[in-house]
Amino acid sequence: MVLRAMERRAKQRVMPVRAAAETEIALRDVTVRYKLAGGGSKTVLHRLNVEIRAGEFVAVLGETGCGKSTLLRMVLGQEFPNEGAVVVDGKPVRRIDARCGYVPQKYALFPDRSVMQNVLYGPENAFCGWMGRARPRFWRFRRELRAEATQMLLRMGLKSGDFSKYPGQLSGGMQQRVAIAQALMMRPPVLLMDEAFSALDPSTRASLQQQLKDAWQETKPTVLFVTHNTSEALLLATRVLVLRPHAEGETESNVLVDMQVPHTNEPLSVRRRTREFEQLHEHVKQLAFRESDGGTELVPTGLVQEMPRRGDAAE
Amino acid sequence: MSAMSGWLELADIQGRPKRMWTQSLSWVLFALGVAVYLQFSIARHRENPDDRVMPTGTQLMAGVHSAVMDQPEEDDPLADGASRWERVTHGMLWKDTVASGERFGISLLLLIPAILLGLHMAVFPLAESVFLRFFLFFDKIVALSLLPILFIVFGIDQWSKIMLMVIGVGPTLVLDTYNLAKAVPREQVVKAFTLKSSNLDVAYRVVLKQILPQVINSVRLNLKPLALFLFAGEMIASTDGLAYRIALMRRHMGMDIILPYLLWVALLLFVLDGTLRLVNRRLNPWY
Repeated sequence: MVLRAMERRAKQRVMPVRAAAETEIALRDVTVRYKLAGGGSKTVLHRLNVEIRAGEFVAVLGETGCGKSTLLRMVLGQEFPNEGAVVVDGKPVRRIDARCGYVPQKYALFPDRSVMQNVLYGPENAFCGWMGRARPRFWRFRRELRAEATQMLLRMGLKSGDFSKYPGQLSGGMQQRVAIAQALMMRPPVLLMDEAFSALDPSTRASLQQQLKDAWQETKPTVLFVTHNTSEALLLATRVLVLRPHAEGETESNVLVDMQVPHTNEPLSVRRRTREFEQLHEHVKQLAFRESDGGTELVPTGLVQEMPRRGDAAE
Repeated sequence: MSAMSGWLELADIQGRPKRMWTQSLSWVLFALGVAVYLQFSIARHRENPDDRVMPTGTQLMAGVHSAVMDQPEEDDPLADGASRWERVTHGMLWKDTVASGERFGISLLLLIPAILLGLHMAVFPLAESVFLRFFLFFDKIVALSLLPILFIVFGIDQWSKIMLMVIGVGPTLVLDTYNLAKAVPREQVVKAFTLKSSNLDVAYRVVLKQILPQVINSVRLNLKPLALFLFAGEMIASTDGLAYRIALMRRHMGMDIILPYLLWVALLLFVLDGTLRLVNRRLNPWY
């Protein structure tokens, strides 16, 4: 009886159907300060207010040290704000849990488990505890799960011969493919990716971007994607948040630009070659990284203003 | 010409010497050691035929035979019709090996909780705050200085020696496991929690599984200190054991027994080390 309930629960790993406008992630007046080694403190995020709706793909862009990864770690539950609140899936974040899937830049896979074991690890935990694995029902469930995992891995571009390999036997790109499959197998409402593709070569990166986009379109989790790469942010995201480093004495939020990106279904390789994309890319790059180049005033110009802004879209 | 190129390959950092060359060379020092010993032994015996410090090959073989087949002096003699196997299992070497092996085995088993404690200290903040400072201090206590206390508390039998070994090596192993577990990337722990792991899942199925090969290597490196503490205990107060016999034979200048015993201990540790290495490779093929 208990096992049957657990099985039902495990099968309901599927993201619940939500209204499109439902807020999935909310950061309210979030301030984060770090103590410095020589005394004093540094404010990384200052009174940050961000709301991300269910099913959005949000890229966070900005210079090094502007608080992109800090933001992600707070949503994950790995760090907590000094002031303000972080809410995920309607509940405040108090610890790391399965509400968020996580794909870091490195060490994304358990090195002591094969590709298949890595992908099955989460759903097996969701099905039952360690002791429940002696029951035949678990092994039946595992067979079904294995079929699902095989489909997922094939979709992510792996070959069946790779399933029994250990992460150390795979290339960096393959490892990240498995890491995404591992996270998606849990069907989390939120998927957090911290510079997940930054260590990959351009061609692997491009193919992974396409696969991530396809996977997102299929299951529509809410994605928070931290990156340094402007074109990656614009290609993948439906919304881009540009953060800037907080300067002492400033009272406003770190969010420099919060804009909607025109979203199409055309392949990324085609999209990245269009003139509109190049213009948009150049403009956002200037917004995100100009301060370090010239330090001039950061005001969105015509092109970005033409994009539907978050406030505009709601009207 | 071929031999010449073989030597050149060996002397070159980028060289790829043939397996035959490397295998042969790995035995050179053994052969050299035996040759030098025999040379000196023969020279000493030429000067003094009764020399007991460096027994000849024949004397050593007789010593091995005596260690394997002869009973210890302190035991009751076997019946005249005793079989060869009975003589071996009642022989000095067998009896001492079993006695020391028992102590060594129990100590190794008692080191498992030390490993788990180190793991818990690295993973659970409560265990870290309670134990870390204590073990950092306790590790600096010279274990041999505790021997009188151990004799008083545990008596001069088995347990004082076992505790000496555990106290001597345990804290090092605790701290080593702690450091290994702490070095597991934080991303792995975070990832495990996002995959619905419990605290114990993270500790045992994620962290311990990842550090296990290094922990086994750490145990391998600690085999010699463990044997050292065993020998110290047995030499000071014991009625059997390999070190007891060596100490006993030293009084009689019985080098023909001491040398085989010494090589036997080294061989046992070598085999144990190799077994652990093999187990490690089988248990952790990914490492």
